[in-house]
Amino acid sequence: MIEIQDLIYQYEKNDLNYIFNKLSLTLEKGSFTTLIGPIGSGKSTLVKILLGLIKVDNYIKIDDLVLCTSNMKKIRNKIGVIFENPDEIFVSETVMDEIAFSLENQNKSKKEIWKKVEEIANYVGIKPLLECDPHTLSEGEKRLVSLASALVIDPQILILDEALSMLDEISKRKIFKILKECNEKGVTILNITHDLNESLYGNDIVLLQGGKVLLHGSKEDVLKQETKLKRAGLELPFLADLSIRLMYYGILDHMILDMDEMVNAIWK
Amino acid sequence: MEIKYDSVYYSKNENTSLEKLILEDINLELKEGKINGIIGKCGSGKTTFVELLNALLLPTLGSIQIGDYQIEKDCKIKDINNLRVELGYVFGNPKRQFFLPTVKEEIAFGMKQFSYKLDKIDSRISDALKMVGLDDSYLERDPMKLSNGEMRKVAIASILAFNPKVLIFDEPTLGLDSISEKSFLKMLKMLKNKYHKTIVIVTHDINMIHKIADYLFVFHEGKMVLEGTKYEVFESELLEQYEVVRPSIMEFSYQVLQKKGIKLGYRDDVNDLIKDIYRHAS
Repeated sequence: MIEIQDLIYQYEKNDLNYIFNKLSLTLEKGSFTTLIGPIGSGKSTLVKILLGLIKVDNYIKIDDLVLCTSNMKKIRNKIGVIFENPDEIFVSETVMDEIAFSLENQNKSKKEIWKKVEEIANYVGIKPLLECDPHTLSEGEKRLVSLASALVIDPQILILDEALSMLDEISKRKIFKILKECNEKGVTILNITHDLNESLYGNDIVLLQGGKVLLHGSKEDVLKQETKLKRAGLELPFLADLSIRLMYYGILDHMILDMDEMVNAIWK
Repeated sequence: MEIKYDSVYYSKNENTSLEKLILEDINLELKEGKINGIIGKCGSGKTTFVELLNALLLPTLGSIQIGDYQIEKDCKIKDINNLRVELGYVFGNPKRQFFLPTVKEEIAFGMKQFSYKLDKIDSRISDALKMVGLDDSYLERDPMKLSNGEMRKVAIASILAFNPKVLIFDEPTLGLDSISEKSFLKMLKMLKNKYHKTIVIVTHDINMIHKIADYLFVFHEGKMVLEGTKYEVFESELLEQYEVVRPSIMEFSYQVLQKKGIKLGYRDDVNDLIKDIYRHAS
């Protein structure tokens, strides 16, 4: 669970432009949330705050731990993060070492580490790449390596910070399938993006604007708020757009966000 | 300007143990004065294809005919340097391109390298900014402090200042919100219709390319496997095999045809689609 209460943050002390102005947000354990916000709405700053890379005085709780210096190590062992540009993050010469990196910082034996690395690589489907240099891989493969490095610590929370925007749809689907499986096992997932289409793969949506949470709810409920989403510069995913119009014409009575379901609902 | 690939091959790390064939037997002709979309999944060779076009890479085998220029393996850079004035390449991430303190200097930089006359530079900068829809108030601003959409426009202006005949974009809408994307697409249409530029866009954003492209080339595992108008390409049953998805609106019509045997026709706009559905709904 992630609980944020009245978060206030500005880049400089006397700056009147608040990045967060009393932002409160609770993400339940086991939720799969897409956090949407226009460029410059503070999405990435929020990740840095949750990881303790930016210090704030406000009350933030991650599972049962209050965010503060003495809890920081425990909190970081709970959170796996995948960033936008893996090339800036990779530190090792082989995929194997890259995945093992965070475990090596956890005082585990060599044998234990390799067993875990192999297991995760197998699960994510990158076992044949273990000997490769991560920088030479394709964009899709790089994200899978980042995902494996995040999953290797068995995180309770997984955060993606614009991690999939570089990917083609097929590679995206592959990663979302793994995320869905993790979520079903109880991992809380927070996908931060500016692309509303990605929200179709999750369950809930949070819309961040003007330093506050403007909308928070199930994707079906949030995607109905066409006017607010458009005002935030967001384009509705095709199926949400189609649903709203078909509801207007009385052909549908609720929002459908799955292609098969949509076809079968119109032509029963 | 005619652009024609003739049996082009490209291998990375040639003659080493790491040699890898990236592009194989590419034969195609880009459509002049049109918007050409290059699509395919990550690692299909799309970016290498355009890097060859701008002679950032040279082909391992075969040749590329660009107007009067011929790009081949043993080309000398000094012979093809002028070609780069004709072909403007806008990189995916404008931040990687910028390094000067003001927009004005950033746009002037390229022209100075190609020794344009100094008195011409100022008016060209203003003209280039106008073409992308920005005014002179941007001249003294720091390019790194602009919004993503504005940065991309400045990056494009710095290329337009040369007045190239061909514009090449690598993932141009990445990181843009839908408002900036709309204004970018509008600008592309204007560059095509009013200034008759040939435009080449490499992207995996299928929904975007569907809105704008006149002609599409599909790449898969280093080969150009399918070409045609967007309707010809997205109607093709081969797309699954090439791991390319259809734009959502066309996928819907495709699924209706496959599952219910109803031919809705392929629409670009949801409003038109609704009328078709209304007519065919049970």
